[in-house]
Amino acid sequence: MDARKNTMSTTPLFRLGALALSLLAGVVLPGSPLSTLNPQPATGMVLIPAGNYVPLLRTTKDAAAVPVAAFLLDELPVTNAEFLAFVTANPKWRRSQVSGLFADSSYLGHWTGDLEPGPQAPDGAPVVHVSWFAARAYARWAGKRLPATAEWELAAAAGYTQPDGRTDEALKRDLYAWLARPVPAILADAATGRPNYFGVRGLHGLVWEWVDDFNTAMVTGESRADSGLDRDLFCGAGSVGAKDTTDYAAFMRQALRSSLKANNTTSSLGFRCARDATASTP
Amino acid sequence: MKTILLLLLLSATAARAVDQPARGQEPAAPGKDTCCEAMANATFTRNSLYQAEAAFTTDAGRAFTLGELRGRPVVLAMFFASCGYACPLIVSDIQAIRAKLPAGIRDRAAFVLVSFDSIRDTPAALANYRAQRSLDSQWVLLHGSDDSVRELAALLGVKFKREADGAFSHSNLITVLNPQGEIVHQRAGLTGGLDEATTALIAASR
Repeated sequence: MDARKNTMSTTPLFRLGALALSLLAGVVLPGSPLSTLNPQPATGMVLIPAGNYVPLLRTTKDAAAVPVAAFLLDELPVTNAEFLAFVTANPKWRRSQVSGLFADSSYLGHWTGDLEPGPQAPDGAPVVHVSWFAARAYARWAGKRLPATAEWELAAAAGYTQPDGRTDEALKRDLYAWLARPVPAILADAATGRPNYFGVRGLHGLVWEWVDDFNTAMVTGESRADSGLDRDLFCGAGSVGAKDTTDYAAFMRQALRSSLKANNTTSSLGFRCARDATASTP
Repeated sequence: MKTILLLLLLSATAARAVDQPARGQEPAAPGKDTCCEAMANATFTRNSLYQAEAAFTTDAGRAFTLGELRGRPVVLAMFFASCGYACPLIVSDIQAIRAKLPAGIRDRAAFVLVSFDSIRDTPAALANYRAQRSLDSQWVLLHGSDDSVRELAALLGVKFKREADGAFSHSNLITVLNPQGEIVHQRAGLTGGLDEATTALIAASR
């Protein structure tokens, strides 16, 4: 009940492959006897090599770039079929039983019933109308976690053919075409997204996605939450300090994250899971 | 066009945020005379924070779940011990709320500080803080993993961020919980609002 059974990845060959990848990426923690390869399978996950995340907005105390260790990221966002397996195994996350504290009243609102996704929610489409709490619970159940903002943004900064998407005209065209379109009533299959440089699909162009630390986004217009924000960096001349003022989509993601509460659900917000490239044994 | 989309997106989530506290309340759990049978989420009300699975450690090094506070009126804030500006004010404000309470409620209330700083605020560091600030046994000082801290912050609506220098930017929020662990009041900011918080605490304690 706690973890999904996955048969594929316990083969020695797979482990060897994962080991080689990890070594290549330099992510095996040196000298720590507790550090081992994550024993869980990584089927459907993609290794994102270590890199630097340049925050869109920073406070005076923030570093200009945040180093991100190599990690594994789901190739696809979590689908309705996958989420159905989760709520089937965990009754308290069913639509009729979840506490309003953890998911608002539109949680899984496009599903036909507790255990019936129905015609608005095809099996292969990304699950939406899920709260941060639900996404986190799913990830834990799957033996994974939600990606951090820095991890998600690092993976999403890649273009189709190169690690830096800023100069990828095809990616930009697709991204802005998506932003200009209303969210369709029935979402496309998650696997239809064109893979980016790392082989991850659907980071742009399908749905927005929860990140684990969404509640670090401090720009809310509420004075109580704006502590620490460097207004000189944010306003006026300061927008020059934003990573890239042409990265309109990044501003939208920042605005979305800072507007959300952890129990909110919307028709265009889903999630995918991540995992450390190495794991500590308890 | 894009701006309109963004506004729609934001207003939809904002509208939703407002209706959160209005959800129906289930009857209080039976048998709240005994606090400590940590057995059952099922006995917590639907809006009780005590349903959360977050695990903490007290400054005495004892494992602690928030459900242990059930049955007591609670004033709770998140903080970090090395904070030089807002957190001392928050602690003073909670002390001020405490001083305003009638004795019958004051004596059974719990005053809870949960640290953002899972690295530096070890149970020992929190014990130190307790001694420095002369906080008596009605104060509960909690250390949690990053995971637990983030979950509690999400439940409270607290935003926080570890800065490069190890300090934290954070919302300044004092939260009042009724004996079932439901949020009945939040004081935001660093000035004013103490009478309202006190009134809410008294009302919730009856």
